[in-house]
Amino acid sequence: RGLFIIRVFLLFLMGETLPRVPGGVPVRTLRVKMVLLGSSGVGKSSLAVRFSKDQFRDSSPTVGCAYLTRVLYLEDITLRFEIWDTAGQEKYHSVTPLYYRGAHAALVVYDICKKETFVRAQVWLRELEKQYIPGSTVVWLIGNKEDLSQNREVSLQEGQNLAQEKGLSFTETSALSGDRVNELLLAVGKSSSHDAPVQTGRLSDNLSLSNGVPQGSDSGPTFGP
Amino acid sequence: MSQRTERRGIHVDQSDLLCKKGCGYYGNAAWQGLCSKCWREEYQRVRQKQIQDDWALAEKLQREEEAAAYASSHSAHSQSTAAQHASVGHFSKFEEKKTNEKTRKVTTVKKFFSPSSRTTSKKEIQEVKAPSPSISRHASFDTDQVSKEFVDFLKNLHKPGRETYKQCRAFLLNMSSKKVCCPPETITVSISYQNKETFLFRQDLGADELSECVQDFYQNLADRLISHFKGSSESVEQVMDQVEKYIMTRLYKSVFCPETTDDEKKDLATQDRIRALHWVTIQMLCVSMEEDIPEVSENVVKAITDIIEMDSKRVPRDKLACITRCSKHIFSAIRITKNEPASADDFLPALIYIVLKANPPRLQSNIQYITRFCNPSRLMTGEDGYYFTNLCCAVAFIEKLNAQSLNLSPEEFERFMSGQTSPQFSSSDSDWPCSESGLGTTVTNPVLVQLNHNLELLTGLCTRQEAVMEAAQSLQADLLTWSDSVQQEVHNILEKYPLEIISKVSAIDANTDNDNLPSPIKPQVFAD
Ligand SMILES: Nc1nc2c(ncn2[C@@H]2O[C@H](COP(=O)(O)OP(=O)(O)O)[C@@H](O)[C@H]2O)c(=O)[nH]1
Ligand SMILES: [Mg+2]
Repeated sequence: RGLFIIRVFLLFLMGETLPRVPGGVPVRTLRVKMVLLGSSGVGKSSLAVRFSKDQFRDSSPTVGCAYLTRVLYLEDITLRFEIWDTAGQEKYHSVTPLYYRGAHAALVVYDICKKETFVRAQVWLRELEKQYIPGSTVVWLIGNKEDLSQNREVSLQEGQNLAQEKGLSFTETSALSGDRVNELLLAVGKSSSHDAPVQTGRLSDNLSLSNGVPQGSDSGPTFGP
Repeated sequence: MSQRTERRGIHVDQSDLLCKKGCGYYGNAAWQGLCSKCWREEYQRVRQKQIQDDWALAEKLQREEEAAAYASSHSAHSQSTAAQHASVGHFSKFEEKKTNEKTRKVTTVKKFFSPSSRTTSKKEIQEVKAPSPSISRHASFDTDQVSKEFVDFLKNLHKPGRETYKQCRAFLLNMSSKKVCCPPETITVSISYQNKETFLFRQDLGADELSECVQDFYQNLADRLISHFKGSSESVEQVMDQVEKYIMTRLYKSVFCPETTDDEKKDLATQDRIRALHWVTIQMLCVSMEEDIPEVSENVVKAITDIIEMDSKRVPRDKLACITRCSKHIFSAIRITKNEPASADDFLPALIYIVLKANPPRLQSNIQYITRFCNPSRLMTGEDGYYFTNLCCAVAFIEKLNAQSLNLSPEEFERFMSGQTSPQFSSSDSDWPCSESGLGTTVTNPVLVQLNHNLELLTGLCTRQEAVMEAAQSLQADLLTWSDSVQQEVHNILEKYPLEIISKVSAIDANTDNDNLPSPIKPQVFAD
């Protein structure tokens, strides 16, 4: 089964060269599957809507916002994001590993105003580590509702420390204001596309959790104020 | 009587009603003026021709292939041709009906007693081998239809199309020849066993290996197509969808719920599990759907229908489409209830509820089949993939479901599971009246409402049918008395004006028969 998943993964990351665009540069299209994990109420769905439409959820006219897409056209690559929202209720926790099969990025979200969601996030992370297939999924830790900084229960430092310890990429966002949401999306896309050449070449095991976008690097997201 | 009516009725030329072939039976406009028998013959002839054309194309491609094989290795040639030849016949038999459990057991025992000489078995196989393609293929119209569509689709692609077709045929032959090239004792089984292809096929390859074969094939073909289409992923996906349809329609019967797996056991377990959970209410699962709203319950019913329909599809992608349709209905139901877009938090519980209500047939087999044989890009990404994953989650949740997941105490859960109490009665307040509450006209359970409604419709239909019957009988009586009365009338008239034979003598015509009259009264003709 593992082999199978890797093969599937290969299939996606290879991307495909499309006919030339007017500029004359061949553009690759890349599918990026990202899964949102975290407790109920931390703002996963709000983030998903932000990712796909760059607006806060209330004005969304769609029937459902569990599966959303967003296409970003960059110079040399077209990124097609698929955003998979998950049920956050604790009773569904045990079935969530099914969601992140073949995901390029897993975003573990917590609410900076609720300590218990941060504790819960660590459970998610341990779970992810257990199911983890080296080289397949880049894991992110996201502190959401950054606009409510005055009620903060989890400090920026705590989040950064956890990320460092586990070797994850980290950022704080606000789905409400849209702060750093687009940057995050770009960074997720870049970390997925950067891995692509390695993936096409061979089955490499040098991509581990720590090989996400390293903290503070150019392509990484920005950190808090 | 009918004869009379016919003579009396509007004039239709008899010949217009007869079969155009002139066989003497009545024809029908729906059958282009032919009778049912002639129509069937005609239709079969056309279809047969189509099949033969396809077959000819396939043969031609096969010959090309064989020629290539011959060139590469002369010695292996005769063997492989024989194998390919045999497998054509074998393959078409894939579609044969699965025999039931009993037969399987019997034959498993049988195999110990059957002779195990290799030469006989080969000869036997030669004999069993080739029911003419048209006959065996005739059995499955669907398969023919799919092949035809596939060939039509590929025709437009020219060279890559031909290439693809060749690859698919080769793959299918390869899959079926796997059964032929198996150890002697397995071949022997085939003789004593009517449904041998399926049997051998399964014994030869486990489900995971089969899946691997198919997936490898998909990937190789996709790789080739990418270079053919210069990287246009959409065209590749289109072709791959058709390929999946073609291949899986053919393999379905032999790779769906194969005996080498315990899929069937799991199906039964899940089915029993869902049955045992019949008491779970929409409130326990915290589903945000108000079934009292007609539009919502309409969507719920549609969702249930769609998920049940999944089992009837053969192509993995068609099955996925059923799941997606089901999910869309659930989203609509939630959206109508909550008046805002449904999120994943609402969707998963609702899907669990729908699965519990529907108890879809062979759920585990279907999920396994899709997982093994669907184009992988459809499973782990894309909208279909998302809903499929949710379905897998729902099933996993139902398997693990316990008191905690329904917010019940363990004792309550036990009581419900054992059937000692059911939540409807234990929590019988105004919102769920017991059925024996006398003239209870306020039944709130939507199922009961539906049931009552249907019963009313049925009684309505019954009375109408009775009325129709009565009217028909009185019409019959009327007709009888009418013919009697006509007879009576005729009789009366005859009596009133009895038929008198008036002798010809009464009239004397001066111009005729003069010669016959006796001479004394012979008229004299006088000139004026
Ligand atoms: N202030 C603030 N509120 C947010 C933010 N993101 C989400 N919310 C609110 O948090 C609540 C839960 O959000 P939702 O997206 O449903 O969380 P989910 O259960 O994780 O999907 C909603 O009332 C949102 O309006 C944010 O960035 N800032
Ligand atoms: Mg949500």
